[in-house]
Amino acid sequence: MRRMISRIYKRCGEILQYIPSLPRNLLVTFVFLCLAYLSSQALINHTGAENNSALVFVVAVILIALFTDGYRYGIVASLVGAFCINYFFMFPYRQFSLSYAGYPVAMLSMLAISGIVCALTTRVKNQAVEAMRREQKTRELYEMNEKLNREKTAIQLEADRETIRSNILRAVSHDLRTPLTSISGAAAVLLTCEEITTSEKNLSLVRDIKNDADALITMVENLLSITRIRDGTMPLTKREEMLEEVAGDAMLTVRRRFPEYSVSMELSDDILYLPMEPMLIKQVIINLLENAIRHSGDRDHIGLFLFRRDNWAVVEVRDQGKGVSPEVIQAVREGRQLERNLSGDSSRGMGIGLAVCQSIVKAHDGFFEVGNDREIGGAVFRFGLPMEEQDNE
Amino acid sequence: MSDKRVILVIEDERTISNFICRALTANNYKAIPSFRGKDGLSQFYSHSPDLVLLDLGLPDMDGMDILKELEELPQETPVIIISARDREAEKVKALDMGADDYIVKPFGVSELLARIRTTLRRADRLKQSQGVQRDVYQIKDLTVDVAKHQVLVGGEEIHFTQNEFKILELLCVHAGKVLTYDFILEHVWGPYGNTSNQILRVNMANIRRKLKENPSDPKYVLTELGIGYRMLED
Repeated sequence: MRRMISRIYKRCGEILQYIPSLPRNLLVTFVFLCLAYLSSQALINHTGAENNSALVFVVAVILIALFTDGYRYGIVASLVGAFCINYFFMFPYRQFSLSYAGYPVAMLSMLAISGIVCALTTRVKNQAVEAMRREQKTRELYEMNEKLNREKTAIQLEADRETIRSNILRAVSHDLRTPLTSISGAAAVLLTCEEITTSEKNLSLVRDIKNDADALITMVENLLSITRIRDGTMPLTKREEMLEEVAGDAMLTVRRRFPEYSVSMELSDDILYLPMEPMLIKQVIINLLENAIRHSGDRDHIGLFLFRRDNWAVVEVRDQGKGVSPEVIQAVREGRQLERNLSGDSSRGMGIGLAVCQSIVKAHDGFFEVGNDREIGGAVFRFGLPMEEQDNE
Repeated sequence: MSDKRVILVIEDERTISNFICRALTANNYKAIPSFRGKDGLSQFYSHSPDLVLLDLGLPDMDGMDILKELEELPQETPVIIISARDREAEKVKALDMGADDYIVKPFGVSELLARIRTTLRRADRLKQSQGVQRDVYQIKDLTVDVAKHQVLVGGEEIHFTQNEFKILELLCVHAGKVLTYDFILEHVWGPYGNTSNQILRVNMANIRRKLKENPSDPKYVLTELGIGYRMLED
């Protein structure tokens, strides 16, 4: 029943909704009353005095209540209907009269019936509207839920893929480390053997093996660092560290790897004790020094500077070489990852070296800058890490 | 040294073990490779080596258990731990358990040989001195006089605070050995000192400034990142 009403209501509503509500309601009321009057007239001509006009009008009132807004029109229609029946279809015809016995009762009961029916209809109608609204809402919720589910699945899939990717990368890097250590180590042993050192040809071959193995070790370290950062799932395991110690350690590594270069480190009197993941920061400093060594063309003036600027512990790597290209500066400023081919001749993974630096510094909420020194010339790579705890000292 | 020093290499990666042994042999040591923990222990008892290189990640046994067994023996054979870079906690634990030094994979041959030399020299010195405490320590041009409570660098006296001096003294007593942060904290501030790492680190930074030390080119005190400090030997 409710369904049928709602369907009829909906269909008619669709047609009628183009007309403004007041004229529409008046029109509906008028049309149904006219129809009731005409059909009662037809019935009276057919059946004589014994008429059913009251029932016809009740039906009309119900329909009016159905197709108008609120119950007001239904009430008005039932009043009009009661008057019409009395005036047109009851003896004496075309005359209003309450003098005959039973007439007032009939009038009142008709009014009551149409009033009650009207109220009930309105209620059913309201329920139908409510049901429709609910249905609509349920459908919207369902659709939204579907959409969210789909998005969630997609994100989950992407995250899974990312996790798998970095797990593989990490596993591969780990597995590469051991054989690379033994390659480099075996080459180092050979370099001390007389059979090798007496032949310049053999010596240079073994030296190449050792250099390439060491370069690969550096790259593997970088890959391991980047999988730890990119993971996102694993937060940095920061602890308080003395920056000069981390930098000193990085310097020792670089000196060992490039004994023929002179790299100096200058400390300020500031005590830079701050939270960081020391192995990653060490990696950044190593990468920056290596970058200067490989790309600046300067052998003697590469310097590492540590100092405090406002609330930042700043590390600077300066050289007096050929400087950095505008493309690199632009890329760093825009926070883009550096392309491999941007870092000059890009020997052995330094392309990812600077990208790793940026990721690590970013993960520490620090800043990363690249520029050229205007006075002396040469490149300046600078990064800063926030000094958290030292503020209130 | 008349006889060759014997070094037991307990390392399961054959390629790494191989180049370590080659390097040791080339440098006048006698190397005994062992690829399993149990085998390593039995090799230890049959050869009684002068030094043990121990990889903590062995397939059949926890390296820590081997270390524990070795440390309980009366010989006091020095042990150098081989460990991966990202396992600092493990290294600190091993050092606190009595390991003499550690080396991190990937490592170079020269680095390994340097560590072995230092550790052997230190072990020899310990045997000779029989635990007798010295009054004056000399490291390059640094003189630490415990009795007079005096520090001289190149003949010039430098003033240190009480705690700074205690740290220096401790490092001198154990010169050549890595001292973990906890070890230093316990010996300088006492076992119930409840002191934070930061105090030690700041003290160390001050010592470094007074000695005009640059951590990138240390003359006296070497930083072992994330682990502790080590006084270089003369």
